[in-house]
Amino acid sequence: MGIWGDLLLTSVFIAVVSLALFWMAAFTLWWQMHAWRTPEVLASTRFSRPDGDDHVSFSLLLPARHEQAVLDHTIQRLLESTHTDFEIIVIVGHDDPETTEVAERAAARDPRVRVVVDTHEKKNKPKAMNTALPHCRGDVVGVFDAEDQVHPELLAHVDHAFRTTGADVVQGGVQLINFHSSWYSLRNCLEYFFWFRSRLHLHAQKGFIPLGGNTVFVRTDVLREAGGWDPDCLAEDCDLGVRLSSVGKKVVVAYDSDMVTREETPGSLMSLLKQRTRWNQGFLQVYRKKDWRQLPTFGQRLLARYTLMTPFMQAFTGLVIPLNIAIAVFLDVPVGIAFITFLPAVTALVTFVFEIVGLHDFGRQYGLRVRFVHYLKLVVGGPFYQVLLAGAAVRAVWREQRGRNDWELTSHTGAHLDATGVTRDLREDVPA
Amino acid sequence: MTSTLPAVTTPEVPAHRRPVSTARPTGRTAPSRLRSSRSDLLLCGVLLVAILVVQGWNIADYPTLSDDEGTYLAQAWAVQEGRGLAHYTYWYDHPPLGWIQIAVLTWIPSALSPESMTVGTMRAAMLVVSAVSAVLVYVLGRRLSLPRWAAGLGMVLFGLSPLSVVLQREIFLDNLAVMWTLLAFALAASPSRHLWHHFGAGIAAATAVLTKETMLFVLPAVLVTMWRHSHRDTRKFALTGAVTACALIGLSYPLFALLKGELLPGSGHVSLWDGITYQMTRPGSGFILDEGSGSWGVLQSWLYYDRVLIVGGLAGALLLLVTWRWSVTAHALAGPSAAVVVLALVALRPSGYLPAMYVIQALPFLALVLAGGTASVAHAVLRRRRAAGEPRPVTAGRYALAAVLAVAAGAYVVPRWYDGDRTAVTADANAPYQAASKWLAEEVEDPADTRVLVDDALWLDLVHAGYEPGRGVIWFYKADLDPAVTKTMPRGWKDLDYVVASPTVRRDAVDLPNVKAAIEHSEPVAVFGSGEDRIEIRQIQTSAGGVR
Repeated sequence: MGIWGDLLLTSVFIAVVSLALFWMAAFTLWWQMHAWRTPEVLASTRFSRPDGDDHVSFSLLLPARHEQAVLDHTIQRLLESTHTDFEIIVIVGHDDPETTEVAERAAARDPRVRVVVDTHEKKNKPKAMNTALPHCRGDVVGVFDAEDQVHPELLAHVDHAFRTTGADVVQGGVQLINFHSSWYSLRNCLEYFFWFRSRLHLHAQKGFIPLGGNTVFVRTDVLREAGGWDPDCLAEDCDLGVRLSSVGKKVVVAYDSDMVTREETPGSLMSLLKQRTRWNQGFLQVYRKKDWRQLPTFGQRLLARYTLMTPFMQAFTGLVIPLNIAIAVFLDVPVGIAFITFLPAVTALVTFVFEIVGLHDFGRQYGLRVRFVHYLKLVVGGPFYQVLLAGAAVRAVWREQRGRNDWELTSHTGAHLDATGVTRDLREDVPA
Repeated sequence: MTSTLPAVTTPEVPAHRRPVSTARPTGRTAPSRLRSSRSDLLLCGVLLVAILVVQGWNIADYPTLSDDEGTYLAQAWAVQEGRGLAHYTYWYDHPPLGWIQIAVLTWIPSALSPESMTVGTMRAAMLVVSAVSAVLVYVLGRRLSLPRWAAGLGMVLFGLSPLSVVLQREIFLDNLAVMWTLLAFALAASPSRHLWHHFGAGIAAATAVLTKETMLFVLPAVLVTMWRHSHRDTRKFALTGAVTACALIGLSYPLFALLKGELLPGSGHVSLWDGITYQMTRPGSGFILDEGSGSWGVLQSWLYYDRVLIVGGLAGALLLLVTWRWSVTAHALAGPSAAVVVLALVALRPSGYLPAMYVIQALPFLALVLAGGTASVAHAVLRRRRAAGEPRPVTAGRYALAAVLAVAAGAYVVPRWYDGDRTAVTADANAPYQAASKWLAEEVEDPADTRVLVDDALWLDLVHAGYEPGRGVIWFYKADLDPAVTKTMPRGWKDLDYVVASPTVRRDAVDLPNVKAAIEHSEPVAVFGSGEDRIEIRQIQTSAGGVR
């Protein structure tokens, strides 16, 4: 026994870990590539062309907090929508006179704009939207963020989607665009691309879907019946999706590159870390709320479990893959076992290659010029981004353990000012 | 219930991104799901039975056992026995995946009856490979839009040509590699254009290369097929996925060498580098069209078995190239045509080494291209410039011409194939081998303590007869080329008891001093067969005039 026993134990252990990691990575890859499986699937992820008939009326919620600089532009653009029947409800805080003033001015100019004031002592996005929910007159409630660039024809497409599919929820695409800003924004943009372009459609098909934070449309009665958003959840959007799909509501996802809501990545690495921490913590909360347990099939529950735990497994994978290979190379394990330890790395490599192709496709879809240096950044930045994700995952668990579930807003911690001079907020959260 | 937006069901999809082109080449039956097409299943099934009967009947006795078959099967035996990748030091002559597959294929029969693990008996396992390959030729033909009869013709050409029958019966790595390559082609031409089918095509292509490295030449043709069959919107993902899969699986071979510390040359161990260097610097066998060169001889040996497939296939490839601009079939068969062209060009290298098995990897493509060329001619005769109101006599003339052509082709091919295939199912080419094996098993008193040089084809027979594998029964050339074996014979030929001089041994002994000496210092004690093909069992005579 002795050394042989130890070696055998080590071999079995790393083989088991490697195979587990391999299957995890393989499934994630399979799902990530969902939209490109066949040309037919790709075609089905798009909005179908509206027939020119407008039947559904919209109430568009626009929560704004210290966003006086961009709010007016966003409202103007929303008002340019081709759809004929919608209202915009701007939600402002009672302690935020600057934003309130911009909102009031817009309301005075156009009767379709209304202002609702949120008077909660501790403010967050779900509370703000719940405040506005009783004021909604439309058949469908839509959510946007104050800095979103919304396509004028989006509402007409969503209207058509509601009518032709009998959906309770329609999720449109959201896309970060500024991939050239920094190495992490490049990866962040791609995460959105793979999520909204591809993975989310799989979730819709499987009947379990964590919704995105904006460009999401819910039938008003369905939303009221569900009690609105969970004010204590850090990922209220994800939570809403999980609750609605768990009780069998029909969710439809559509992605069109010229119809997506365009956003920008967080302005600094720190704010990205915080955003991701909040999102991870939110996922953890949704997991612990156990609404997903009502899903009818075992497969759906498994998908739910897996999806909500993904950030943590991702962190784990990133740390274990290199360790595993090091063990295989430096310890004298049998060649067969050493081979198995390379399996997760192989999957990671395939994912990497598909990311490169994804970046190319992203550039094509959005008419953006992707240069060689961007591909280089994508590859070199990969491991570092993995560290960031792992950091956010660990941080989320730590915060959740300590019971800290306040909204960690960058505006309180001295954030980066972008070109428009606005303090960017942490609200665009999207799983990837 | 949730679902994605069924945009594809609505007629209005933005024109600049037509989701799926539904148009198929005209005049061709659409390759719908073959599994649910009764006529396809029936045709393919009947042809498969015919191929299996012709290939399987008399498989152990014809053709003559080849040295290489013995090598691969013995190495498969070593894998089964847990002796590593070969019972001698594995020296990276070929990637080991081929005989690992043979080991898997023969696992159950050899577990039930260990004695059956000999070349003649285990040729039966190759029937499985032939069957899969033949079906894949049909499937590929249909996926490349060939009409049913032409796909069937391709399958017949591939499975029943006397050349195919001879070569596909033998335990050659090339046959396994062909199966994987055909799978790669079939997946690349998958009608559903599924990303993971293309990914699978990459894996299958890499498996083919790791089975027999010469399949590298065919990879561009797989890529051509995939390019043609993928959709513009998903092509870049499909192709990159396939190339990545292929490269990653292919890299596992150098990784294997690296993990064993045998990637680069060094003293005291074999290496992948040395193995590749050996293969790349094998002495050339001359220009294939240079009468009298080794390559010319190899070509003649192929043509001896069947001219139809080789000459007809090359002509078919030429026809498809010439008609490329207007022929639908030529476009559809771009992949197989490319494979034929590349393989022909490689064979035409002026000073390369051309092994006899080289043609095996070309067989399915020659068959498909010839079938495609035939379909093209049939189309030209029956349909070209045929207007709706064509006078009946003209139409009748078209059919008469087609019938004449078909009968003429049949009159040329059938008698030749009948002769070739009749030889294959009746001739007994291996009686001398079997007799030699029997003699060594029964007439030698103490096999466990007897040392004998044999060619690889007989090696496993003697292992089953009780000789000690590797040290007692020795692959003849290891006596000179493997230091680990030479070390066990400090007195050279004097440490041996017998040498079995088969044609292969006599041919190669010229360059192998120990083997040559063993033959010179031995006397035949039993001779089986006569002439060039005879097998002599020679007993070593020490200088004192007695045996060891």
